[in-house]
Amino acid sequence: MSGFFDRFRRRPVVRQDDGTFSFDFNQDLKDAIVGFAGQLGEGLGSDSPDLKRLFPTAYADDPEKDAGFQIFSRDELIEGRRESIELMMRSAHSDTLTFDELNAWMRTCNDLRLVLGTRLEISEDDNEELPPEDPNAPMMDLYRILGYVVSEIVDALMSAHNSDF
Amino acid sequence: MSSTAPIEVELTDSDVSEERPYIVLVWNDPINLMPYVTYVLQKLFGYSVEEATKLMLDVHEKGRAVVSNGTRSEAERDVHRLHAHGLWATLEQDK
Repeated sequence: MSGFFDRFRRRPVVRQDDGTFSFDFNQDLKDAIVGFAGQLGEGLGSDSPDLKRLFPTAYADDPEKDAGFQIFSRDELIEGRRESIELMMRSAHSDTLTFDELNAWMRTCNDLRLVLGTRLEISEDDNEELPPEDPNAPMMDLYRILGYVVSEIVDALMSAHNSDF
Repeated sequence: MSSTAPIEVELTDSDVSEERPYIVLVWNDPINLMPYVTYVLQKLFGYSVEEATKLMLDVHEKGRAVVSNGTRSEAERDVHRLHAHGLWATLEQDK
């Protein structure tokens, strides 16, 4: 929804002159996201089908090669994701984030979208709206809010990345 | 030039196949946001915003795009980095 007053609305994530980024999201929202991220971190080692998008197949037509790949890849993916979640938790009350902290927020919020999207069985033609009485409506709301957070972070990181040349 | 007959090196199938380069594919998925995919391709592979956007649109419209290539271990490393960012990536030998 864009309107006349949008031009006066401050973007929540903006790169500062010192290279850090403002991170101006509602604290309740940040606390909620961090809470879900903590749950994700605890469940990463499980074999829940909700996590399948976090550990994709690398060799589509060769299960043997894929098994070999997964031996070294899966543990590193879990470790990297836990590091991002920890970095996110440590910066949960900061209004200014470093590049690494902002990347950790982006990756973890995107991971949460992948998990929720898998559970909600999101498909290409979904309009991402559910009637309020649908039991999955709150999960869909969170999925959409995470999409907004990821979009704002990506916008800021993209403009920083492409103005450095 | 030596007058001796060239030594015939017998190549097994696996030797030959290991010489062929691998390609890394990113596949379309309904969850990842288009700007996110563009940014990840820029960040991981150093593409310009125009190149990364074109690849992202190929993924979106054609279902997949080749984003890098190299030896098997190079391609595996790239696939691992893409998986760490939640993209659906695979590798296969170039045909």
